[in-house]
Amino acid sequence: MGAAKAKGADRGSAIDAPAVPYDEMRDADGAVRPQYASLAARIETLSADELAERQRTLERFFLLQGITFTVYGAESTTERIIPTDLLPRIISAEEWKIIEAGLIQRLKALNMFLADIYSSQQILMDGVVPRDLVLNAPSYQREMQNLFVPHSAYANVCGSDLIRQPNGEFAVLEDNLRVPSGVSYMLANREASKRVFPGTFRGAGVRPIDRYPDLLLTTLKSMAADWRPNPQVVVLTPGVYNSAYFEHAYLARLMGVPLVEGRDLVVHDNMVYMRTTTGLRRIDVIYRRVDDDFIDPLTFRRDSGLGSAGLFNAYRAGNVVICNAPGTGVADDKAVYAYVPAIIRYYLGEDAILPNIETFLCREPAQLSHVLANLDKFVVKAVGASGGYGMLVGPHSTKAQQDEFAAALTADPNNYIAQPTIQLSTGPCLIGDEIDSRHVDLRPFILSGEKIVVTPGALTRVALRKGSLVVNSSQGGGSKDTWVLTDRKDLQP
Amino acid sequence: MMLARVADSLYWIGRYVERAEHLCRLSDVMLTATLDRTESATQIARIALAAVGDPDDAAKALDPYEAARALVLDLEDPGSVASSLARARENARQVRDQITTETWERLNLIHLRMSDPNAARDFADGSQAFLHETIADLHLFKGAADATMSHGEGWRFFQLGVYLERAQLIGALLEVCFGDRRRRAITDHQALTSLLRMGCALEPYLRVYTADMQPKYILEFLLLDEDFPRSVRFCTARIEEHLSSISRHVEAAGVSGPDRLAGRLRARLQYADMGEIQAGGASAFLAAVIDECAAVHRQVYETFVAYTLEQRLPA
Repeated sequence: MGAAKAKGADRGSAIDAPAVPYDEMRDADGAVRPQYASLAARIETLSADELAERQRTLERFFLLQGITFTVYGAESTTERIIPTDLLPRIISAEEWKIIEAGLIQRLKALNMFLADIYSSQQILMDGVVPRDLVLNAPSYQREMQNLFVPHSAYANVCGSDLIRQPNGEFAVLEDNLRVPSGVSYMLANREASKRVFPGTFRGAGVRPIDRYPDLLLTTLKSMAADWRPNPQVVVLTPGVYNSAYFEHAYLARLMGVPLVEGRDLVVHDNMVYMRTTTGLRRIDVIYRRVDDDFIDPLTFRRDSGLGSAGLFNAYRAGNVVICNAPGTGVADDKAVYAYVPAIIRYYLGEDAILPNIETFLCREPAQLSHVLANLDKFVVKAVGASGGYGMLVGPHSTKAQQDEFAAALTADPNNYIAQPTIQLSTGPCLIGDEIDSRHVDLRPFILSGEKIVVTPGALTRVALRKGSLVVNSSQGGGSKDTWVLTDRKDLQP
Repeated sequence: MMLARVADSLYWIGRYVERAEHLCRLSDVMLTATLDRTESATQIARIALAAVGDPDDAAKALDPYEAARALVLDLEDPGSVASSLARARENARQVRDQITTETWERLNLIHLRMSDPNAARDFADGSQAFLHETIADLHLFKGAADATMSHGEGWRFFQLGVYLERAQLIGALLEVCFGDRRRRAITDHQALTSLLRMGCALEPYLRVYTADMQPKYILEFLLLDEDFPRSVRFCTARIEEHLSSISRHVEAAGVSGPDRLAGRLRARLQYADMGEIQAGGASAFLAAVIDECAAVHRQVYETFVAYTLEQRLPA
């Protein structure tokens, strides 16, 4: 059980004293932090009307680009843009150094963990992570056992969710190793904010992020380059009705590779082909944006029409690479999460650079009773769910909701974890025509193939409802651009 | 080499935008002509409605404004301008990675305006201005595609769609005006100039034939002119050109595929004789042209998009 309690426990539990959230722009005395100085000065000079005008420019940019999601209603079908805030979130060079090192360390260890549990399972033998926790997780794919993955890079694209705690330290809230999305918003937000604040942007020394598609392609190619000199890469999308379709098309376009759907693929003799105008053409690497269960109806869900029959066998035969590898989800399972610091120590012999949030596993009877006694203070999450669903935010919940969760927890404790309600940091946002504080998180994107690289930028998600701590776009969240500043020392004089 | 599904979508974008532009032009000519309450005005309205295949042209021609409004904005009607543009845009969304941002933005903008809740009001406030703007925007869209997209396979599928659709639309218009079923030949000057306007051909026609409005010359110009971009002959020459460029890489295409059909169609127009056409009746000739366009369409689909896998699997 020792491993399950994260480092946060040493500093005293945050349960009884919800601290004042950390503010990204101003310190405790109300003074503007150095990285925000130029933006704060610029905002001062703009009237409410001018700010609103810029917000409209930004929204028009998104609408024109078709960066929208479709709302299917009974009467009519409309398209909405993802709510986007025009004020950027700014991270200093020093802070970024820690984040970057922490993310690389974490993904390195998680890839080693995946390589281990899908082969000799040493970490389970040594009892560092409970065997049943891993092998019984729904995201554990037995089909992946003893399958060769180049560079042991299972999670080629990872989008971790970080939050900033009241003490100013960043911590990891979730690792997303399955099919993380949002990177197109990181890139589109940047394009938009360059239009809205060109002068401030130029002066601030913001690190560029536009190499991401290039790095993604390099990463994907590195997964097949050893046996195919110039591998054919494709992006596999569930189709135009998927809410992240814009992103799939965006990445395919910027990488210059075909965007395919399941119906474009043909598997013959354990080789994967796509139907082109000139006949069938072989595919070497599939960057799939389709969940594990839907990749191949022969191996996984039989009712799936999104993947292609026989795809997994072609993968097993080594004739195609699927990125991210199926079964990576077991390493971002919300219960396995609690063991990540131990996993890092086990494989790398290092302490985690980025701490975890203190996590209680309801599968442990002692921890369950503690959670049940304090339901009004905890955030309770179902292990398998994502997107802000299946979640209880204790302090904002009613007695009835708590009772409902208490019953669910008692009935199926293995399926739940609990974390203290963390005050996410706050940042300035334009709400209506004035600037107000809203809670934000941070989702940077990490690529791993032959090498692990972190793009110096991120998607900052915003909880646009005042006081809300839920940043998911399905639950009233929005996003904003994130500026990572250049270290002045690195610049030429 | 490109995905078969993508080629299909690009082809349909071409067809839908061409259809939308043609419908806008017919509606515009109809509304302009019917400002005068003359007999020929009703005739023009009936020509426009019959050319879009409306069997109810006589009744609807009595209320040209309502007919035009429905033709442009009615989303229930799969053949309206708004529906065509929605489909073109939906296809573009499905191949968003294959078209440039400049091209996409144009089409998206047109679609957004057409599906805006205020579109009906804008149309009521100034129908002709609304239609003019839409046509101009469609020109901008085609211009952006021409100026920013690589003139490779994808662009050629798009162009193929544009010209096949155009050949069929102009063919249908000519059938209405010069076909055997017409009981009373069109002789009225206003009707003849309106007919040229429906093919966007008035000014180019004047330059060749001067202001001498003769039905025979008009048929000859819209059918057989070598240089006018909306003549059927010009369209078939482009169809052949784009198809042969696309087919270069597909062995199956040359032998019995769309190449041969497109070549024959082009030759039919290139070596046509006005005297013979008039002697045999324009309908027979036009029907052959329209049928062959449909045959090219089917062959394109079978050769490039919906081919059977058995023929293409590696040995």
